[in-house]
Amino acid sequence: MSATTAGQSPASRGTRPGQHNTAGDWGGLGLHLLSWLAPVALLLLWEGAARFGEIPPHLLPAPSKVATTAIRLIGNGQLIPDMGVSLLRAASGFAIGGSIGFLLGLAVGFSRLAEALLDRPVQMIRAVPFLAVLQLVIVWFGVGEEAKIFLVSLGVLFPIYINTVLGIRQVDPKLLEMGRVRGLSRGQLIRRIILPGAMPSLLAGVRYALASAWLALVVAETIAATSGIGFLAMDAREFLRTDVIVLAIVIYALIGVLADGVARLLERRLLAWHPNYARRGAR
Amino acid sequence: MASLPAARVQELRRAYGPRVIIDGLNLTIARGEFVALLGESGCGKTTLLRALAGLDSPQGGRIETAGRPAIVFQEHRLLPWDTLWRNVALGLSGHDARDRAARALAEVGLGDRLEDWPRNLSGGQAQRVALARALVEEPALLLLDEPFAALDALTRLRMHDLVRDLVARHRPGVLLVTHDVDEAIALADRILVMRDGAIAGTHIPPEATRRDRAHPEAAALRRDLLAALGLRATAD
Repeated sequence: MSATTAGQSPASRGTRPGQHNTAGDWGGLGLHLLSWLAPVALLLLWEGAARFGEIPPHLLPAPSKVATTAIRLIGNGQLIPDMGVSLLRAASGFAIGGSIGFLLGLAVGFSRLAEALLDRPVQMIRAVPFLAVLQLVIVWFGVGEEAKIFLVSLGVLFPIYINTVLGIRQVDPKLLEMGRVRGLSRGQLIRRIILPGAMPSLLAGVRYALASAWLALVVAETIAATSGIGFLAMDAREFLRTDVIVLAIVIYALIGVLADGVARLLERRLLAWHPNYARRGAR
Repeated sequence: MASLPAARVQELRRAYGPRVIIDGLNLTIARGEFVALLGESGCGKTTLLRALAGLDSPQGGRIETAGRPAIVFQEHRLLPWDTLWRNVALGLSGHDARDRAARALAEVGLGDRLEDWPRNLSGGQAQRVALARALVEEPALLLLDEPFAALDALTRLRMHDLVRDLVARHRPGVLLVTHDVDEAIALADRILVMRDGAIAGTHIPPEATRRDRAHPEAAALRRDLLAALGLRATAD
């Protein structure tokens, strides 16, 4: 669930051509409110169906029941520490996998030698769906923190790697030539031309990696954990507490949306020059 | 230093495999002199310009330039992620880089757009920024590689006036590579026609044609140049 919300929805990328006029007729705010109509209606339908017994509560509790459970779990100090543990796992995994992917990407992007040495093995490992190594990871690391951080790192590494290499490769050689005519040193070429030119691709990689990290975390925490949001859900399943399970799902989704929002804010700040990310295109 | 020409090329030779592009070419450009280079596509004129810019290494001959040449390409080649003043200041060092860039932008009529992005510029404006970026270094040699070819006719005429003014003020030696015979007549002190990798002819536009595009002598020169390029002057 969080994987889809944290991934890239086509509508989140700038404005579509030809959309300006319709938006002008409706008013931007009107359309914005209208876009919430279906989600709110679904929520109300769900609430109604659960209240009037159409859906048995042990299969799917009412949204209001999930909300009261959330308040109770926050109140008795259970929920916040579990969320903290999950976030810390995601952040450490992201930092480790992201750094490795970025450094490998830089090496391969800049050096033909590094490409010859590194690209094939990285692509071969990438061909393995990273969740398929789960059992092996548990054998290696047991059910401790290392296993989860390793899995998140693995999920993050490849999107960052691929988009770093791609971004560097996509830099316009004509701009590089101009920089050389201008007498820029290698360091200046990298700082002033290559890295900014690779930035759109790099940030797209960050967004993919966030989705991937989140997916890895959900799986890792659900298979083997003694704390965290996933553990909360697993534990609740034993007692058929569907309200707690739904709450865990909702929290995963919310944090996924939040992480994607941070990534988009980064895009807007760092890519202010880019026509696709210009302020008028942002929502 | 002042006695040195802006550029001197002696017996230049460049071949790609068996294909000889430039063969025994000689050229001197004085400081403050505006030289236009005409020639068919593939005659080697862009190769010559790239060799002068240090972007191409010739196999024989000598190239001397007074300092590092500045260049304006057919495409503006502005960095889309840098504001206009940062584009113009690219590679400049010193704390006055911004002031120098601002002065250069003011000279091309964009002094109020320092913090704007390249994407907000028209084709002509972008090319003016590229000119400012070239001239901010006060180069002794300015290389222009068909810089107005992609502009509409009216904008191109305005750019001619601007370039004439800027060159008169900064006095670099200029080498303009172009396909446009009228452009060469309007701007150059000396027009060279290049064929088969060498300079095939030199034409000096009379003073009168520089001020008045419609002057009868301009038509005659135009006919001569088109003939030298291998075209019959039926295009009038």
